[in-house]
Amino acid sequence: MTSDVHPLTVVTGESSPARLWRKRAVSVVAHALLAAASIVMLYPLLWMLSASFRPEAEIFSSSSLIPSAVSLNGYTQGWNSLRLPFTTFFLNSLIISLLCVAGNLAACSLTAFAFARLKFWGRSFWFALMLGTLMLPYQVTLIPQYVLFLNLGWVNSFLPLVVPKFLAADAFFIFLMVQFFRGIPRELDEAAMMDGCSAWRIYYKVMLPLSLPVLTTAGIFTFIFTWDDFFGPLIYLSDIRTYTVTLALRTFVDSTAESNWSGLFAMSILSLLPIFVIFLFFQRLLIEGIATTGMKR
Amino acid sequence: MTARPYDAETSRYGRAVTPSTWSRLWSANGPGYLFLVPWFIGFFGLTVGPIVYSFYLSFTNFDLLTPARWTGLDNYVRMFTADPKFSASMRVTLLFVLFSVPLKLAFALGVALLLNRGMKGLPIYRAIFYLPSLLGASVAIAVLWRRLFAGDGMVNQVLALIGIQGPSWISNPRTSLWTLVALAVWQFGSPMIIFLAGLRQIPQDLYEAASLDGASKWRIFWKVTLPLLTPVVFFNVIIQTIEGFKSFTPAFIISGGTGNPVNSTLFYTLYLYQEAFAFFRMGYASALAWVLLVIVAVFTGISFLTSRFWVHYDE
Repeated sequence: MTSDVHPLTVVTGESSPARLWRKRAVSVVAHALLAAASIVMLYPLLWMLSASFRPEAEIFSSSSLIPSAVSLNGYTQGWNSLRLPFTTFFLNSLIISLLCVAGNLAACSLTAFAFARLKFWGRSFWFALMLGTLMLPYQVTLIPQYVLFLNLGWVNSFLPLVVPKFLAADAFFIFLMVQFFRGIPRELDEAAMMDGCSAWRIYYKVMLPLSLPVLTTAGIFTFIFTWDDFFGPLIYLSDIRTYTVTLALRTFVDSTAESNWSGLFAMSILSLLPIFVIFLFFQRLLIEGIATTGMKR
Repeated sequence: MTARPYDAETSRYGRAVTPSTWSRLWSANGPGYLFLVPWFIGFFGLTVGPIVYSFYLSFTNFDLLTPARWTGLDNYVRMFTADPKFSASMRVTLLFVLFSVPLKLAFALGVALLLNRGMKGLPIYRAIFYLPSLLGASVAIAVLWRRLFAGDGMVNQVLALIGIQGPSWISNPRTSLWTLVALAVWQFGSPMIIFLAGLRQIPQDLYEAASLDGASKWRIFWKVTLPLLTPVVFFNVIIQTIEGFKSFTPAFIISGGTGNPVNSTLFYTLYLYQEAFAFFRMGYASALAWVLLVIVAVFTGISFLTSRFWVHYDE
């Protein structure tokens, strides 16, 4: 297109056959590129999935995705390959993750409600400090926290992983909820206040029911982050009865892996399964959460 | 809050604080502070207190069993003059951030631009590219990576098809770090989604105006798209860089917790972990943590200070 062409001719130019052909060609090339990229992205995952069903002898002999025979040995043997069955580890991970979700939702929404809706002396000061903790690398508080939990006798229990969530230690989710609460029309809580509602009732009866989307997003991300967490369990849990799935996988790698790859892959696949299911059901919510807030994953 | 009108009379004559003043103070501030009680406990007990304590510990020798012993600047002096593992881990981490962040963001932006052309099947592609980001930090993926890049792993099998004999990527100190960079780049999905959201914010009429003026696609990208996208680029650079400095799990799993071969995957966080929880040198590890804090703070500070020269903000 050149600058002296009238807009109307541009419109007709768009539909001329040559132009249409070029457009189609470009789109075919783009699709080919994207499809190739998709294969590269998914291949490792599919390879692990197929390896988990393969007979042990065949795992490294071919790079193809289709196993010559489907075997469930990896799953049955992998499940019982450590001192305790994986049932224990999955239950531990589930308990920790659900407690963390509950803690984060309760504590972060209380805090966010105060920052978003209540007036009190020093509010913007505390809010700024809260935002400041977002950037803080966790390593700086790591050792004193460990000393604290050690002295409380909490090491080797779930408490060091769960209690901080009930104390709104995840500033990110406070911020997420403050943003959402600010978008809820003020008239609603002002009307409730006129009727003599206490702050607690407004929080409980007005704000929370209106905040299901943000609560779901925060809950899902908390679940995924805690389910995946390796560092926390690595530091605080050393008794195998308290192990999470991530710790169990690590032990698996260190001990038996060289002889039981299909078992290791089978357990790896199972450890990813909950996240994958969440991804299937809440994909839109996850993607919106990232697009609007810049979640790190 | 239904604050009653301010009663000037009371304060002007400086009368003694009456019960009603207290109740007014309470009704204006009480609920807010009550709601913040859990956060306050966490903020002071798990953040402020620990920061102060960790700063103190960084000047001591502390092994958890005996009381901390004050050693002045010894930890810091040793770190910068007599600790080859410190410099190795610093080098590894900087290299990792320096390569993984730009590569990851370049992929993210490239794919986002392709998808933003109004491609059919956008939701499917977006989901496929996003999935690795969601799974990537888990132990399972690190386990997989360790296998993929092994000497007889899948990567070398694919390379063999085109006649290249690849090295044993994981156990070769010259290539091991690059497998971790590859793992980071594989997770370009979440910055891609942020880029896509940013691209959608750019007003369509700007493109129309530019193309009516006869600007080429290339020129439009450099003069319209990229400048308007700089706030998103800025955001992504900060988040990804901080994440890069904090990365731990993949290096731990791939090297079996050692940072080997020859310290080539000894991430700073991994070294800190070893010092603290394998050797119980808590004082030295606290000093390492403070150096990390300073690095992250300096990086963030510089980014914000320079941002007004290259980040485009709407007036």
